[in-house]
Amino acid sequence: MKAFLRHIGRMVLFILAQGLLFGQLEFGYGIHPMIYPMFILLLPFDMRPIPLMLTAFFTGLGVDFFMNTFGLHASAAVFVAYFRPELYRLFSPRDGYDMLKEPTLAEWGVSWYFKVAGITLLIHHLWFFILEYFSFSSWTIVLRNTILSVVVSLLICFAIQILFLKKPKRI
Amino acid sequence: MRKLIAFFRRFRVFLVFIMLQLFALGSYFSLVQYPRTKFFNTSNELSGTLLEWEREITKYFYLDEANREVIAENAALSRRIPKNYISVDSKTAIIDDTIHHLAYEKLPATVINSTYQHKNNFFTIDAGSLKGVEKKMGVVSSEGAVGIVYDVSDHYAVVKSMLTKTINISAFVKGSNAHGLIKYLEHDPRRVKLTGISNDIRIKKGARIFTRGSGGYFPQGILIGKVEDKEAIEGKPLWDITVRLEQDMRKLRYVYVLKNIHQKELEELEGQYEDLQ
Repeated sequence: MKAFLRHIGRMVLFILAQGLLFGQLEFGYGIHPMIYPMFILLLPFDMRPIPLMLTAFFTGLGVDFFMNTFGLHASAAVFVAYFRPELYRLFSPRDGYDMLKEPTLAEWGVSWYFKVAGITLLIHHLWFFILEYFSFSSWTIVLRNTILSVVVSLLICFAIQILFLKKPKRI
Repeated sequence: MRKLIAFFRRFRVFLVFIMLQLFALGSYFSLVQYPRTKFFNTSNELSGTLLEWEREITKYFYLDEANREVIAENAALSRRIPKNYISVDSKTAIIDDTIHHLAYEKLPATVINSTYQHKNNFFTIDAGSLKGVEKKMGVVSSEGAVGIVYDVSDHYAVVKSMLTKTINISAFVKGSNAHGLIKYLEHDPRRVKLTGISNDIRIKKGARIFTRGSGGYFPQGILIGKVEDKEAIEGKPLWDITVRLEQDMRKLRYVYVLKNIHQKELEELEGQYEDLQ
């Protein structure tokens, strides 16, 4: 129950952070930092795929309410959630994940988090920008926006992980 | 039957994925194709209220600039007050006449959320149906035309900005009176395209572009921008005209919604016209 409330709290915080802070930043050069895929990564390891996708869908919907994107963020979030189990399996440690630990940078190390978050953000941003522009002729813009935004989003994700998600103390 | 159930059990994750995608993308693409989406935008009360709080905090950063704009607009308006004119001929200066009817009412509003980097850009204003805002009303700033109201709730409205692919505002070039449609085709928030102008018409660089007033969204002669560049489109007898917008859409803060008092009359009249064709 406590864990459930914690995840709901995080969902609200991530939607508000995306809608009111990161979505409003205008860097130019096509950079749109999107940090809510990080919330999808933070959900427990043993969450089944369907609840995972539904959670992602509602998170994306929440972001859509703020950004006037009419379902684009929801689609990208579900896309990421669909691939998350496969991605975690791909980078799992030799003896599997400890289900009691959270999927954070502090628990699993920088190189693991860099790979997982990097790939997640890359497919999320790519899906998002392809759908936004939706034409072959603007592939340069799509590519530029994706690469620059992934770099910025990844930096923000690392900052959030280091600042707010510390390793819980164990006895 | 059992096999069918087994099939669904096996692929249920993928089916849920497809269903959610259809739902989300159906909403997104219906927006691009037809204006009928009701969900997932900031005209709902909750996100509208939160965005307004955010705006309450950040508005102080723009006060200086806003003041300057208001002063400039005031100066321009006060030049048109009859008191400031001296009549040269006492017979011609009659002001309280009944010949002129008010055609457009201006409702002031503040922009509480906006984007300009996307392919289709929208902004949210803090005036809704309770203040008399309706769908398809034109929106202008003190500099020029900026968009058309797209969706309305009680207290907020979402406006399709000038930087939307399907904005299609009818406009004419001063000097030649040729008219075409404004479209946002390149991803540069300062520039839009004026399409549909035949290339036998002479267009000067720097010529000003005004709204034509068709559809009744805008009155005739609201400034949109200036011709920055023109090129002939290959294989078509048309100009490809780049227009530099008068209002910098990145700095949009205060706008007016234009309520056309004669909108219904115009629609009824033009409706008859379509029946005849």
